[in-house]
Amino acid sequence: MPLINEQARIVENECVGPRLYLMVLESPQIAKTIKPGQFVHVRIPGMPDHILRRPFSVYAANPATNTIDILYQTVGYGTDFMTTLTPDSASLSVVEVLGPVGRCWMPPEHVKRALLVGGGVGAAPLYMLAEQLVKAQVHTDVVLGAQTEQALVCRGRYEVLLSSHEADVVAPLCSTDDGSYGRAGFATSLVAEALESAAQAARPYDYVAVCGPEPLMRAVAELCAGANVYCEVSMERRMACGIGACLSCVVETTDGKLRACVDGPVFDATKVVW
Amino acid sequence: MAVNLGGLLMKNPVTTASGTFAAGREYNDFVDVSTLGAVTTKGVSLHGWAGNDTPRIAETPSGMLNSIGLQNPGVKHLMDVDIPWLNDQGATIIVNVSGHSFDEYLAVVDELEQACVHAYEINISCPNVDAGGMTLGTDPKCVESIVKKIRDATDRPLIVKLTPNVTSITDIAKAAEAGGADAISLINTLLGMSIDAERMRPTMARVVGGLSGSCVKPVALRMVWECHQAISLPILGMGGIMNGLDAVEFILAGASAVAVGTANFVNPFATQEVIEGIADYCERHGVNDVNELIGALKC
Repeated sequence: MPLINEQARIVENECVGPRLYLMVLESPQIAKTIKPGQFVHVRIPGMPDHILRRPFSVYAANPATNTIDILYQTVGYGTDFMTTLTPDSASLSVVEVLGPVGRCWMPPEHVKRALLVGGGVGAAPLYMLAEQLVKAQVHTDVVLGAQTEQALVCRGRYEVLLSSHEADVVAPLCSTDDGSYGRAGFATSLVAEALESAAQAARPYDYVAVCGPEPLMRAVAELCAGANVYCEVSMERRMACGIGACLSCVVETTDGKLRACVDGPVFDATKVVW
Repeated sequence: MAVNLGGLLMKNPVTTASGTFAAGREYNDFVDVSTLGAVTTKGVSLHGWAGNDTPRIAETPSGMLNSIGLQNPGVKHLMDVDIPWLNDQGATIIVNVSGHSFDEYLAVVDELEQACVHAYEINISCPNVDAGGMTLGTDPKCVESIVKKIRDATDRPLIVKLTPNVTSITDIAKAAEAGGADAISLINTLLGMSIDAERMRPTMARVVGGLSGSCVKPVALRMVWECHQAISLPILGMGGIMNGLDAVEFILAGASAVAVGTANFVNPFATQEVIEGIADYCERHGVNDVNELIGALKC
């Protein structure tokens, strides 16, 4: 699939949680072609002294409305500035979007039971994968972790999606660091229990996908290695070009230093050297 | 728009700064490499180098720092994979050559003599490796010596890429000229650093790195202008070229050709837009041949 660089009109840019924002962009070509787990590399207008693009995972793509959804957390100048962009601004309502970039989630061909684990904003790049698996009638369970209940911003969409298929666990399993919703603590314990109970019920998972803070991904990868379940992780790195040329974003792997942008962001977890 | 860079014929004055364009394939959806004056490939060493730890970059005001560390899969890979592709596309190829020692530079050039490439750019200016790189490029005697050795090993156009991290750029340029270079290119990145005060840590794993982008353009222009007056070799100018007008500034200062670097990261069409921008400038100013602009600065 060729890379596209398109001018995308901001349709919506709203605060949806603590330091969390949802930006909806009219990006027709990318909305039609992006696959779950791929990302877009965005040039934000109005901050000429900050020259680099920013990579964002895509939360949802809607070819019918020509839109893509980006869930982002403010982590510095660029994302802080992004929150000020509005659809009705004359000069700051269009961003330049390059994509779709990267290796998508690649569940095994005959996957029967999948577990998706999202930590914080890491819940977003798993949503399109969840849609794909549910559509393919793969039994899909979801574990979501966040600092607080307010930060579990993807929970609603996952609830609607998962309730549309028959599953042992309809709602996503949730954890919060402060115990304000679901299990108190990190998501890792929920993952360990899910893996174990699935194995005991003789319906083990044959695919786990995880995106979130690196300690979470590493812990889940280790659990999966122990349970002999194929696991993929989505790695985040600082990026310059976003298309494989500059080698800024490399990830240490058993095959050497690979580029998060085009060799990833999704990697076979057993290949990642943590 | 054609220029002659020390024996390298370029259909227009625009190439890519090494390390910002890989070997062109990554930009294939945006840029037809055959339309560029040349493609300058990422620095290549004899065997593969793993490069530095991450984070390897930091954004800085109107620019960025990098400390990639010349990660590359080695000259054989370049010759087996990238050069044939560039040849198929009809590109003019400048190979940027790196090494940890005199012998390694020579060994890389020796290998490349078998390949269909059009010129060498000798990188004695990378700030991100511990041996070779910039450590070679800051001592005039050392520069003259390495250039002489490589000169003896090839008849192809030999461009020597200089570091700006020196007291006198003209002393280094003269040394390259004395060693038998056909052209010089400058500037490589300026050594800098960035600090995350909240975490009380450096922003990049290697602490220091090379500064590039618009912020370095005034330094680069000054050095191109000084070298143009100090030596008679043609100059490949670079450092913060984001558009056609930036490129014209370098040509006026004395550059025969220019390289687009960091701009590729921001705008994948940057090289094409720079070519168009130079052509547009020539048209607006009634310039029939871009060569008329080289060093045409009125001081």
